[in-house]
Amino acid sequence: MDDRMNRKQAAAAPETMIEVNNITKSFRVYYDKGHLIKERVLYRGRSRYERREVLRGISFEVKKGEAVGLIGSNGCGKSTTLKLLTGIMYPDSGTVSLKGRASALIELGAGFHPDMSGRENIYTNAAIFGLSRKEVDACIDDIIAFSELEEFIDNPVRTYSSGMYMRLAFSVAINVKADILLIDEILAVGDAAFQAKCFNKLREIKGQGTTIVIVSHSLSQIEQICERSIWIMDGKIRMEGAPREVHAEYMAYMSEKVDRERVAAAQREEQKEKEEPKAAEPEPAAEETAEQESTPEAGEAAEEEPEEEDPQKPNGNRWGSREAEITSVEVLNGNGKAQTLFDPQEDITVRIRYRSKVALDDVVLGLALYRTDGVYIYGTNSLLDKTGVVKLEGTGTIDLNMRRVGLNQGEYSVDLALHRPDGFSYDFWRNTCTFTISEKRSEVGIISLDHEWKIRKEKA
Amino acid sequence: MKTLREIYDYREMIYMLVRRDLRGKYKGSVLGFAWTFINPLLQLAVYTMVFSVVMRSGIDKYYIFLFVALIPWLAMANSVNGGATCIIGQQNLVTKIHFPRQVLPITTVTTQFVNMLLCMVVVLLVCLFSVGLNLAVLWYLIPVILVEYALAMGIAFLVSGLTVYFRDLEHILGIFVMAWQFLSPVMYSVDMVPENLRGLFNLNPMTSVITAYRQILYYKTAPDLTTMATALGMGVLFLVVGWFAFRKLERRFAEEM
Repeated sequence: MDDRMNRKQAAAAPETMIEVNNITKSFRVYYDKGHLIKERVLYRGRSRYERREVLRGISFEVKKGEAVGLIGSNGCGKSTTLKLLTGIMYPDSGTVSLKGRASALIELGAGFHPDMSGRENIYTNAAIFGLSRKEVDACIDDIIAFSELEEFIDNPVRTYSSGMYMRLAFSVAINVKADILLIDEILAVGDAAFQAKCFNKLREIKGQGTTIVIVSHSLSQIEQICERSIWIMDGKIRMEGAPREVHAEYMAYMSEKVDRERVAAAQREEQKEKEEPKAAEPEPAAEETAEQESTPEAGEAAEEEPEEEDPQKPNGNRWGSREAEITSVEVLNGNGKAQTLFDPQEDITVRIRYRSKVALDDVVLGLALYRTDGVYIYGTNSLLDKTGVVKLEGTGTIDLNMRRVGLNQGEYSVDLALHRPDGFSYDFWRNTCTFTISEKRSEVGIISLDHEWKIRKEKA
Repeated sequence: MKTLREIYDYREMIYMLVRRDLRGKYKGSVLGFAWTFINPLLQLAVYTMVFSVVMRSGIDKYYIFLFVALIPWLAMANSVNGGATCIIGQQNLVTKIHFPRQVLPITTVTTQFVNMLLCMVVVLLVCLFSVGLNLAVLWYLIPVILVEYALAMGIAFLVSGLTVYFRDLEHILGIFVMAWQFLSPVMYSVDMVPENLRGLFNLNPMTSVITAYRQILYYKTAPDLTTMATALGMGVLFLVVGWFAFRKLERRFAEEM
């Protein structure tokens, strides 16, 4: 058994495609950038800029066929890392080595000329990615078909809508055959259908053994494609691992940070309010001292205010502002009875109890379903399914009815979220509940299709 | 060597960008590509009027004398001016996409020289009907054009890289190119330069290049060896200096823009 495993591993040991070794990079931040020669001469030798370290020693490897996501807040250095990978910039120290042809989807539509036709622009754009005419000839039909612009391909691109423009640009970029694909925040192209198509294409490319590195703020995109996430903070790798784990930590950290900022802002407000009346009435100083003397207990009491343990302290599985929050979650069967074991074709209802401290009219309800071994089964929210945003005030329940679920046997966990359309989380809760689907027939696969065989004999 | 190889791999990009620049420039205008020829012809008309009618130069068939020098000069002037902005004008490409940065100055200069070759057809036609052509010496045009190309390329490498760091170079070059035109024997011949200044004058690389063009097309003789050798030396020198300067400057382009 062991032996077989070892052999399998040895055979499958993929080669390293990207090797990043302890890279550092700092930028010059100019106080007042002197591009003029006069300034250059006058201020020579004086420090007119300061160095800002963007990367302070980052190392990682990416194997063939692996997809890695880089996450982090703005300015953490993730885009710089990608630029160093593409060779647009060079590291100050450390090394970056890539095997094979790398293609970067950072700038779409590079070199497009508005007066040229879509077809001509495909050639120009592809040439900028380093493709020869022959290579473009070989895949131009795929590119055009992918862009869904067959009818317009010989019109000048200035007549295109911005959506068409981006579709064309993306089609070229994604059809460039490369061993390594580097993507920076550009999967927000076109309508939902086109985005889905881009995603499928990316999966297909990945399936063919292309190595992918993605920089994105959309954690769910990364979860869908990548096996590994690297969280970069202040120019260093803060955490690295399975996307779901890393993202949970990341979100928890971010929401904690938001909380801290809010507390700090509130304290500043308070400070101001305290100072203002003092400035307004500086007269009755005598009374004030008297009062202070007379109430020593009150002061002590205030200091000794017991530190309440915060039940809403964000952890890896739950974060958000909690202006609206999920108070409990139950899994019910079709008759409204609590149940955790289901048949594949049974109805399942998830009942959410909520409490909203203030009236909110912009709440999006979100759901993600995972098999407990981490396979992402399904995700939706009330915007995607066209239910729209909902109003929540006070307390109440929300029922999510899933009819004839159709999942195969296994244990499933449910993530629930109340968030704003812009992604701001009120309450994002992972693994709120689980249910199990049992299947007597021992079928395999992720889903269980309702099916039957029909056999007819043809009359001789 | 690795860089050369990489530039060669990106030859398609150079080709497509040159094509785009040439065709895109006049797209949408009524006369379209014909402007490539009309433009220099109109310039020629203006200069001829000034120097044949108003300030008479006394040179026989002055318009040919001027034309055979003006077309090569314009290629050089446009290469220098265009070279200055070819990197900073393509900020999106330079900060977002990896490709050998040399492609941009190469494209700019090549576009100008393809343009010049097309105009040369007009020059040859005008010469044919005016002073005639000496087919025996015409082939000298090829090395002369190559030398001028090398010279323009070297300068373009240098100024395109420097302009990223010193933005006012672009404006300085505008004036510089104008001065350079008057200090090169475009509108007059080298003989008109005072003897004692001629040594200094010959330091100008364009002096020998333009003299060679004129010897071939206007005087219909083979350019003399000293002129060719000087031009070649200057061309190679500028190319080498430009190439290595660019290599050094190129490393921080993306950050400086």
